[in-house]
Amino acid sequence: MLKKILLVDDSPISRRMMKSCIPKDRGYEIYEAGDGLAGFEAYKANQPDVTFMDLTMPVMDGSESTARIREFDPKAVVVVCTADIQIKSITNVLDLGALMVMKKPPSKETVEDALSKAAAVIG
Amino acid sequence: MDYCKEVISDEEKEILQEIMNIAFGQAAADLADVINIFVVLSVPYIEMLNAQDLPEYLKSQVCSYDRISIVEQNFWGDFKGSAFLVFQGNAGRELVSLFGEDSGEFSLESIDALEKETLMEVGNILIGACVGKLSELLGDLVTYSPPRVVIENTPNDAIPANVFESNSSAIVLKTVFNFNERDVNGFLFLVTSHDSILWLKKSLADFMEQYE
Repeated sequence: MLKKILLVDDSPISRRMMKSCIPKDRGYEIYEAGDGLAGFEAYKANQPDVTFMDLTMPVMDGSESTARIREFDPKAVVVVCTADIQIKSITNVLDLGALMVMKKPPSKETVEDALSKAAAVIG
Repeated sequence: MDYCKEVISDEEKEILQEIMNIAFGQAAADLADVINIFVVLSVPYIEMLNAQDLPEYLKSQVCSYDRISIVEQNFWGDFKGSAFLVFQGNAGRELVSLFGEDSGEFSLESIDALEKETLMEVGNILIGACVGKLSELLGDLVTYSPPRVVIENTPNDAIPANVFESNSSAIVLKTVFNFNERDVNGFLFLVTSHDSILWLKKSLADFMEQYE
């Protein structure tokens, strides 16, 4: 069962958009980070069940952050939510162990789909 | 004085930045579909300027370049303005090879023509997809002028002197990019005129309403 969600995105607006798409009646604990490095630190501190990760970010990009998180916790569930929808970017993050890639902007449907897939993986 | 804050708020600027990010991501994916290239993206940024300062601003962005190629295209809708796709150096000749052309078999004149055609094609894809996605997300539909290519050895000469009427404001959306494994980099400016600002503010609010 999913309880904790981490949002990693340098854009506060983008995080707000994501949060608004997450069902409010399930009592999720939501954590936020503004770049890939802060996201990695937040992952270690909070051990979320699912992490929504942007790719194009300052300090550390989402690909490296995903790699670090998956190295720290090989069972980490990372859903990449990005505007960079080039095939090479998508295959790169899937190779790094991301569960799936969601195209920006998010919607309630795409976020629900990602949460369902994450829940199925966690069991 | 923070000129930007007077016309659009910090929050509106952030929304526009995110929409530009999504729009240029779409443009990069469209280009990658057409030619075998990977576009390394960066975080876009937004600046608000007085229109009379625009030529100097654009010049300041390219003054360190030895040679410059610009694809310029205007667009009209509620969202109205000009797009400038700026490449550094011999980007056009690098790009020719990506379209499968062997420039070694051509005369200098035909290489120049091929370079312009290639830049026009890349510009059409990147500008069309970016402006198209941006206007789609904001509920608008735009039409475009044919692209115009300018290649200059002196960057200052490539920048138009009067982009918009002076004494009006302009929003500059800038995205820096480079094409991985190729010596091609540059940036895309979208400059929207004062006429679009009221519409833009309302459209940004409408866009965010779905996320309230």
